[in-house]
Amino acid sequence: MKNNPVARKTSGVSKVLRIALYTVLLAMAFFYLMPLVIMLITSLKDSEEVRNGTLLSLPAYLHFDSWTKAWSGACTGSTCTGISPYFLNSFKIVIPAVAISTLLGAINGYVISLWKFRGSDLFFAALLLGCFIPFQVVLLPMAQTLGWLGIASSTTGLVFVHVVYGVAFTTLFFRNFYQSIPGELVKAARLDGAGFFTIFYRIILPVSTPIIVVTVIWQFTQIWNDFLFGVAFSGFDSQPVTVALNNLVNTSFGGKEYNVDMAAAIIAALPTIVVYVLAGKYFVRGLTAGAVKG
Amino acid sequence: MANLTIDNVKKSYGKTEILKGINISIEAGEFLILVGPSGCGKSTLMNSIAGLEDVTEGRILIDDKDVTYTSPKDRDIAMVFQSYALYPNMTVEQNISFGLEMRKVPKADRDVEIQRVAELLQISHLLDRKPAQLSGGQRQRVAMGRALARRPQLYLFDEPLSNLDAKLRVEMRTEIKKLHKKLGTTIVYVTHDQIEAMTLADRIAVMKDGEVQQLGTPQEIYDNPANLFVAGFMGSPAMNFIPAKVVDQNGTPMLELAANTTTAIPFPRPESLKSRIGETVLLGLRPEMITEPQPHKEGQEFVMTTGVEVEVTEPMGADTMIITRINDAEINCRSNPSYLAEPGSVIDMMFDTSKAVIFEPKTGHRLDI
Repeated sequence: MKNNPVARKTSGVSKVLRIALYTVLLAMAFFYLMPLVIMLITSLKDSEEVRNGTLLSLPAYLHFDSWTKAWSGACTGSTCTGISPYFLNSFKIVIPAVAISTLLGAINGYVISLWKFRGSDLFFAALLLGCFIPFQVVLLPMAQTLGWLGIASSTTGLVFVHVVYGVAFTTLFFRNFYQSIPGELVKAARLDGAGFFTIFYRIILPVSTPIIVVTVIWQFTQIWNDFLFGVAFSGFDSQPVTVALNNLVNTSFGGKEYNVDMAAAIIAALPTIVVYVLAGKYFVRGLTAGAVKG
Repeated sequence: MANLTIDNVKKSYGKTEILKGINISIEAGEFLILVGPSGCGKSTLMNSIAGLEDVTEGRILIDDKDVTYTSPKDRDIAMVFQSYALYPNMTVEQNISFGLEMRKVPKADRDVEIQRVAELLQISHLLDRKPAQLSGGQRQRVAMGRALARRPQLYLFDEPLSNLDAKLRVEMRTEIKKLHKKLGTTIVYVTHDQIEAMTLADRIAVMKDGEVQQLGTPQEIYDNPANLFVAGFMGSPAMNFIPAKVVDQNGTPMLELAANTTTAIPFPRPESLKSRIGETVLLGLRPEMITEPQPHKEGQEFVMTTGVEVEVTEPMGADTMIITRINDAEINCRSNPSYLAEPGSVIDMMFDTSKAVIFEPKTGHRLDI
């Protein structure tokens, strides 16, 4: 039956479709990867080559000087320390902010899904509204609040802002995940003699790995990439890397050093890329978990 | 082991009354079954006994102690859930020992208890597995093991067999009955399956709309239902309800049946029908009381043979159900498979009314008690 003309014709059509499919996919990939490629090759050229060459031409020699300079020598405003101290600042903000907002979200979701109380659905709806409030709206009241709390212009203040803003999202994630956990599990544990927190960390948390991964990735990316809160609420010593990158690009003595800018931008984006590469498959798995539970 | 008293328990959500004053009392070691259609409040009552839901009014006593406001963990009860509710992250062994651990039982004693329970339920070879690696029947056993390990005063079973396939359900049913005989524990068991109720219970509480319709032994409930609902709910196929006119025959009230020919049949408690001559009542007759003519019953006081038209037959192996029509009601008769019954033909059937019951058609109340 191999020479069946109908079959051959069909396979011809499907071959054409397949080629078309790959063409489209490759075009898309090219479209998305081009900026990164340009950043990478520009960062590896020296200033001379950047000025004289074209955008897409490959560097004649690999110069890593711009990377060193971006990391430890470039000027952001009046200081010339590179972006390394700010890189560290970002971690000082991101790690506690992600940890606290994830934990709070987990506990909130646990209560809203498995310890329903009168008005818990309303409480959740109100919390959900927090996901839709634009950053800009809370800038002034938040500045006021930080002042009252005495943590304005500090790392603690920024952690606080990100936790407050993140809890709406993390609660939503955990609540939706815990919705698929049967309530009888909690009842059984209560009859076994376990209390609220014992049930949480002995039974609920151990099955929460997929949603913890999703939440951590989401929160990490959001907080790491945040610029607005960073620029509005940070002090001189607590600026995150996104703000420093902006300052670096805006500070120039004479000619613009595009290669240093590009290197600094890649460094600033590196942690989120690393997180996605390491945990990306858990991210997709976590987002679909619960939806197709057997 | 303990007795259990439910004293006028009421439960309402806002205006909706779920439980309307439940009174049940069972002795230590009794097997009580709560049975009823979905929404009758049996699960709510179960949760109230467990302390997972508060009651609005009334008292619950376990071992003569008032536990109405005691938290679930201090009531010394264990529960087996419909979904088994095994802790997914723990092995079978950890599942069984969790309750003991929470009660601060030393490790050595926990291990002894795990071995005892595992042997009792034949799950020793499964102790290292996670719940996801078990079959439905095995999960069921582990869920029971978890309940047994704590040796509580009272066991609660919430529809424990309804997630199993038919064959396994019958097996586990027998297993639970054996276990109860062996351990002599007090059990409250919720089900909507009336066969489970009949086979397992020492006493059955039939519930509907938040009220106990009848509380009694399985045989009492089967033979002597308190009302139309209980009569129709218990038994499979269900009891036949035949609308029949009460007629006076030489001073004795009898019931008129219009099948192939119209006849009047006698009833064991005619005095209860005296005031209803000329009215229509519902005659309740179990399918096994309408059979092929049996010579040894011939001539008995409440036995009568008449011709009926066969509509359909349903062979069930041991018996054949013959479906016919009397007084415009569909009637199930249980006959011997060897008795020839062609659909459309008229055959003789023997009616035995010695165990028949009478209901008021509108209210469903029993008339003859």
